[in-house]
Amino acid sequence: MDIRRLSYNRRRRLFLQQLVNGLTIGGIYAMIAVGYTMIYGVIQLINFAHGEIYMLGAFFAITFIVSLGIPFFVALPLSMACCAICGVLLDIVAYRPLRRSPRLAALITAIGMSIFLQNLAMVIWGSRPKPFPQGALPAYFEKTAVSFGGVNLSWFHLFIYGMTFTMMVGLNLIIKKTRWGKAMRAVAQNKTMAALAGINVNRVISYTFVLAGALGGAAGIMTGAFYNKIEPTMGYIAGVKAFAAAVLGGIGSVPGAMLGGLVLGVAEAFGAGYLSSLYRDGISYGVMIIVIILIPAGLFGRVLKETKKSM
Amino acid sequence: MKNKQPFFYTGLVCCLVFVFVITTGALADNIRIGVASPFTGDLAAYGDNIKAGVSLKLKEINDAGGINGKKIELVWGDDLCAPKDAGTVASKFAADKSIVAVIGHLCSSATLAAMPIYVRAGLPAISATSTNPTIGDVGKGWFFRNCYTDEFQGKYLASYVVPKLLGKNTVAIFYENNDYAIGLKDSFMAGAKAFGVKVTGAEAYVAKTTDFTPQLTKLLRDKPDTIFLCGYHPEGALIAGQARKLGFNGPLFGADGIDNEDYIKLGGKATENTYCTVPFLAMSAGPAGKEFAKKFTAAYGRDVDWMSANAYDCLGILAQVISQTGPDRKKIREGLSAINSEGNGYNGITGLTYFDKKGDCAKPAFVKMVKDGKFVAAE
Repeated sequence: MDIRRLSYNRRRRLFLQQLVNGLTIGGIYAMIAVGYTMIYGVIQLINFAHGEIYMLGAFFAITFIVSLGIPFFVALPLSMACCAICGVLLDIVAYRPLRRSPRLAALITAIGMSIFLQNLAMVIWGSRPKPFPQGALPAYFEKTAVSFGGVNLSWFHLFIYGMTFTMMVGLNLIIKKTRWGKAMRAVAQNKTMAALAGINVNRVISYTFVLAGALGGAAGIMTGAFYNKIEPTMGYIAGVKAFAAAVLGGIGSVPGAMLGGLVLGVAEAFGAGYLSSLYRDGISYGVMIIVIILIPAGLFGRVLKETKKSM
Repeated sequence: MKNKQPFFYTGLVCCLVFVFVITTGALADNIRIGVASPFTGDLAAYGDNIKAGVSLKLKEINDAGGINGKKIELVWGDDLCAPKDAGTVASKFAADKSIVAVIGHLCSSATLAAMPIYVRAGLPAISATSTNPTIGDVGKGWFFRNCYTDEFQGKYLASYVVPKLLGKNTVAIFYENNDYAIGLKDSFMAGAKAFGVKVTGAEAYVAKTTDFTPQLTKLLRDKPDTIFLCGYHPEGALIAGQARKLGFNGPLFGADGIDNEDYIKLGGKATENTYCTVPFLAMSAGPAGKEFAKKFTAAYGRDVDWMSANAYDCLGILAQVISQTGPDRKKIREGLSAINSEGNGYNGITGLTYFDKKGDCAKPAFVKMVKDGKFVAAE
């Protein structure tokens, strides 16, 4: 149908609705992307298994809710904690032994861990997609909370936006204002110097994995609950998209990853809504490619001189 | 090096087991038939159905002494419903000379990818479920199916289900980007034109998508009476849920790809008032079909679905042919293509099956709907 034929009001409503759609998925991408970018920041590793942490978050949540009967608002932080532990374990088991090996070895290990975790989830929970127990969600989630320009926002939308916003602000505070944040920034700049200054580098890296894991897990739970499908392979596409978002924002930059996620989500929604729905993913990656060509370091990235890393 | 010894023994045991398995497999001299379906992944629920259907028939045949004294043995091939993996499974089946026929594949895209390999190897395949109309051309006489084609199904939806059963005039189509859904969408659109049903928009999605809201927002803008879920059940269930969240309250409908209990399990309440066409419906079947439905529920504790029923008949057809021709790939093909008229058709639980020159068969469609969280007959 021709969009130009529609009245101004309907066109505005369509635009706003697509914006809402895009920001919802974009917020989720942002939460995963931040994990990629933080880990890249401290150990220069693209943690391809991060998408699997996101998947595990969703599975932990439904396991807690369905098998143990834990209410949603308790299961959420509990699963995030489990994901944080998984993140740390991942680092200790797979990445720490390779800290001094070439970067490529760690990268391949990350891909290997991704495949391993995906298959482990298949063994534990089966390969069939699972619904999120909708009964566990509070009933008012489905109700309209805000209405503007003919678009209804449910409490669930607000909850996702609220979670995304709180976590992003919280994360920024942690990085900017706390001692651990300072240590993280120091390690990101120069591991050797940070160690010489008395920072326990491995522990700082573990903390980074804790933060990344918790955020990734939260994103997984939210996706599972909102879009209502949980499966062992769900981490792959989400991981790739979030990685693209992190690159778009400038990998290594936390605000960049947040913005990158939102831009990617909105580009996807508008691409599908106004251009062709078949090329929806193509459009969002296209946006990424154009940004990278124009600003090679990404939206918030710093251009670094090529230096020999002593890692 | 004491530590190495356990490894040595485990290795030895593994080798022995391996040799044992290989030799017994070869010595048993069973009639081996390949079954290709998605047994893992998104559409594993379909594979379960196929497995359930053929296993029932297998047990019946083997309990009755097999075919001319030989037992049937099924070899499972997991194609994940993906053309790439279907090619791998097909090559494996084609290379294994002990496999005399294939039941499968399940998804049309998978069958289309596998057929050229079977044609080259001279291995007959009979699909219980692939409905894309073009497979017959690719199959070059080696392909058969005991389900209708989408050419028929799409027209049936456009001429009967939407205007008569639902009493609606405008449809938004949401189709998956694969051979099955595109073929179905095209024949639906052709039928819609002929029968005065208005298509307000058609949007596509790729498999494994979770967020359908951008496309749905676009489709719902034109206020369609009903949405056509043209694809498979996992995505169908999500689309149903997200369409309801966006405020759509009308009926939904789909085709054979929607018929699965997982559709209701995944989609929950949002799936109420969904209609779908199926090649087999226990409530509308003959006495043989009704009896099969009872047996099926007793064996698996769930209601029978059309895929299990069709798969059950597929093995039945193959067994009948093999009992006349013997286990030989070429002769089985000839035997299958000889089932070409009503007079010599195979009378199974899904009705009378006989093939035309392209291996297609003419069978009626039935309509199911979701009511109070269960699939029931719509008429």
